[in-house]
Amino acid sequence: MVTYDDNANTPPSVGLTLSSRIFSAEHKTIGLRYLWLSLASVLVGMVLSTLLRVQASTAIPFLTRLEATPEHYAAIRLLHGSLMVFFVLTAAPQLGFGNFLLPLQIGAQEMAFPKLNVVSLWLTVVSLAGMTASFFQPQSHGIDVWLASAALFSLAALLSALNFCVTVIELRTEGMTLPRMPVTVWAWFINAILSLLIFSVLLAGSTAVLSDRLLGSDFFSSSAFLASQPLNLVREGSLPALWQRLFWYFAQAEVYIAMLPCFGIITHMLSTFSRKPVWKERLVVLAICAVGLIGFCVWGYHMFATGMNPYAPLVFSVLASSLGIPAAFLLASWLATLWNGKVQYTTSLLFSVGFVSLFIAGGLSGIFLARHDLVYAAVSEDFVTGHFHLVMGVAATFAVLAALFFWFPKLFGCRLNETLGKVHFWMTFTGVYLIFMPMHWLGLLTQSTLLSDPQRIAVASTGASIRSVVAAATIWTVAAQILFVWNFFGSLLRAKASEQNNPWHATTLEWSVACPAPRVNFAGVLPQAYRGAYEFTGAMPDDFVPQDRAPDMAVQRQS
Amino acid sequence: MSGATTTEDLEPPIVKKKNGGGGGDVPPHGGDGGGDDDAHRPKRSVSAKRYYTGMAIGIVAVLMFFMALASAFLVRKGSPDWVPVRIPVLLWLNTIVLVSSSVTLEMARKKLANSDARGFRNLWLVTTILGMLFLVGQVTAWRILVGQGIYLASNPASSFFYIFTGAHALHLLGGVGALVYVAKRNFRQAQVTQSDAAEVASYYWHFMDGLWLFLLALLYLGK
Repeated sequence: MVTYDDNANTPPSVGLTLSSRIFSAEHKTIGLRYLWLSLASVLVGMVLSTLLRVQASTAIPFLTRLEATPEHYAAIRLLHGSLMVFFVLTAAPQLGFGNFLLPLQIGAQEMAFPKLNVVSLWLTVVSLAGMTASFFQPQSHGIDVWLASAALFSLAALLSALNFCVTVIELRTEGMTLPRMPVTVWAWFINAILSLLIFSVLLAGSTAVLSDRLLGSDFFSSSAFLASQPLNLVREGSLPALWQRLFWYFAQAEVYIAMLPCFGIITHMLSTFSRKPVWKERLVVLAICAVGLIGFCVWGYHMFATGMNPYAPLVFSVLASSLGIPAAFLLASWLATLWNGKVQYTTSLLFSVGFVSLFIAGGLSGIFLARHDLVYAAVSEDFVTGHFHLVMGVAATFAVLAALFFWFPKLFGCRLNETLGKVHFWMTFTGVYLIFMPMHWLGLLTQSTLLSDPQRIAVASTGASIRSVVAAATIWTVAAQILFVWNFFGSLLRAKASEQNNPWHATTLEWSVACPAPRVNFAGVLPQAYRGAYEFTGAMPDDFVPQDRAPDMAVQRQS
Repeated sequence: MSGATTTEDLEPPIVKKKNGGGGGDVPPHGGDGGGDDDAHRPKRSVSAKRYYTGMAIGIVAVLMFFMALASAFLVRKGSPDWVPVRIPVLLWLNTIVLVSSSVTLEMARKKLANSDARGFRNLWLVTTILGMLFLVGQVTAWRILVGQGIYLASNPASSFFYIFTGAHALHLLGGVGALVYVAKRNFRQAQVTQSDAAEVASYYWHFMDGLWLFLLALLYLGK
C-alpha cells in the first residue's frame, strides 16, 4: 500500500482550506482547469470570429465603426488568434487532456513535479488575463502587455513540458515499457520535447522584443538593422502589420505544438472504435517523432534564416514538403485501422473521421503553400487563412471534441448525449467546409496578383457573394455550438454517478479506475502493465484485453 | 520514504543514464509527494531520480534560451551600427571567482561522501559566498560600464552585453538559492538525501560556470 500525499486519503471536501483548493496540485484538477480555460476561450474566440466574418461581408453600422479604425480590426483578429492558438489549441489537447490522463495512462500517482504544475497553470491564467487586457489598452501599450503575456505563456509551457518529459521518463509503472505506451502518451511526450526546445527560444525572443520596446535596447528595432532586411519585411511598416508579424512568429511554432497531441488522440480513437489494433503502431510512433523533428527544423529555419539567405526559401520549401511523408504515413495508418474494422459510429468516431477529412483537405492546399514560388503568384491572405484554419484550427478542435466525447465519463462521471452530439457533428462539419473552402477560392480568385485589373474587377462581384456565403456559414457553425454547450452543461446537470468504469471497452489503464476518476489514482496501488495498448481481438463479446490484465487471466477468459 | 538510501549505489546509474547532466531551475521539493513506487524498483528512490532527469531536461531548456540569444547576437553583429563593448577587466576576476566556486563545490561534495558534515558545511558556505561575490562583481562591472556612458540602449552590442550578463546573473541567482536550500533544508523527512540534492545542485552550478565561460568567449571573440 503506497500513499503519496499527506492529504491523499482525506475526501477532497473535508479539511482543505480555500487556498489549498485554489492551488491544488492534483493532476486531474489541473487538467480540468485547463479544459475550463479552453472552453471559455473558445467561446469568446468564436464570437470574435463571427464579428470578423460578418464585418467582412456586410456593412452593419456598429461594425463599420470597426472598419473605420483598422487597428481595432487588427486587434480583434489578434485577440481571436491568441485566444484560439494559445488557450485552446495548445492548452486543451496537451495541457488539459495531457495533465488529466497522462499519469493515469502510464500508471502513475501524479505528475513528476506537482508544485511546478500549479505554477504553470496559474502563469497560464495570468497570461490569458494579460492577453485579454491588452485588447482594451491603447495600441502601443497593448502590444507590450500582449508580449509580456506571451512571454509568461512561454514560461508556463516550458515548465509544463519539463514536467511531462520527466513524468514519462521516470514514472511509468512496472511493465509500461516504451513500446507499450499508448500513442497518446507518445504524442504528449514528443510534443513536450518539442515545446521545451521551441518555447525557450520564444521566451528569449519575446524578452528581447519586450526589452526593445520598454528599455530602448537595440536587438531588433534599429533602422539600420531593418534596412539590411529584405524589402518585403519592412515595407508594411504600419502597426497592424507588426501585430500580424508577431502573431506569425508564434503561430509558425504553434502549428506543430497544436497538432502533435491531436495525432495521438485520433490514432487512439480510431483504433478503439474500429476495434482493431493501430495499423503499424511502431511506425506511427516513428512518424509522430518525425513530425516533431521536421517541425522543429522548419520552424528553427524560419526563425533563424528567413530573409538572410537567398537559398533559404528553397530549404524551407523542401523541409515543409518533407513533413508530408510522416503525415501521409499517419493518414495511411488511420485509414488502414478503419479498414475492415467493426466500426462503432459514436460521436467520438465521427469527430475523428472528420479530423481525418479536414487533415486531407487542409493538407492538399498545404502542398501549394509549401512551394516557395507560390508567394509570387496567387497566395493571398484568404487562401492562407482557409488553409491553416482547416488543417490546424478546425481539425485540432475536432480532435479535442472527439477526446471530450470519449473521456467525458472519466472526467465527469457521465456520458454526453450521443444524438445531440451527432447532430452537432454534422452541423459543424458542413459548416466549417462551407466557411473555409470558399475562403480558398476567395484567395485564388479575387486577390490573385496574376490577374490583370479588368479581370479582377470582373471577379470582384463574385468575391462579394462568396463572402456572404462565408458569413452565413459562420453563423450556422456558431449556432451549432449552442447545441454543444447545451449538451455539455445538460449532461453535467443530469450526471448520474452510476456510469460503469469502462463504457467504451477501451484497453488503457485509465479505464481500470472508476468514473469519474477518484482523487487517488488506482486507490494507491499502482497497476502493472502486461501488454500493449491496443489489443483488440475482434472476437465478441469480449473483444479487447486491458493492459493490466495478466497473461494467465486472459487465457482463462478465452477458454 | 525517508532518505535512507546511501550515496554509493545512487551515483553510477545517473552518470550512465543522463548524458550531459546538469542543473535546472528547480531545487528539489521534498514534500511534493510524487508516486513513491519504490516497492517495484528497489534500486533507487524514484523521487530522487526524477530530480536528476528534471535537471538534465531543465538544462536543455536553459541552454536553448541562451543559444537563441547567441544566434541573434551572431546575426546582429554584422549590422553597421554595431559598436563593440570593451570588456571590463573586472570580468576576468569574476570568472576566476566563479571557476574556483565550482572547485570548492566539488570539494564539499567529496566531504559529504566521506560523511564529514562539518567540512561539507564550511566548503558549501565558501561556494555560496563565492557565487554571491561573482554576482556583486557583475553588478560592479555594469556600474563601471555605466560610468563610461555605455547603457543598455546605447547600441546593439551593449544591449547584447547587458542581456547576456543579466540573464546569466539571474540564472546564477537561482543557483545561489539552490545552494542555500541544500544547506538549510532538513532532509530527515524529505524524499531525497542531502547528497542527492547536492549533486543535482552541483550539476546546475557547473553548467552555469561553463555557460559563463561560453558567454565570455562569445562576448570577447565576437565583438
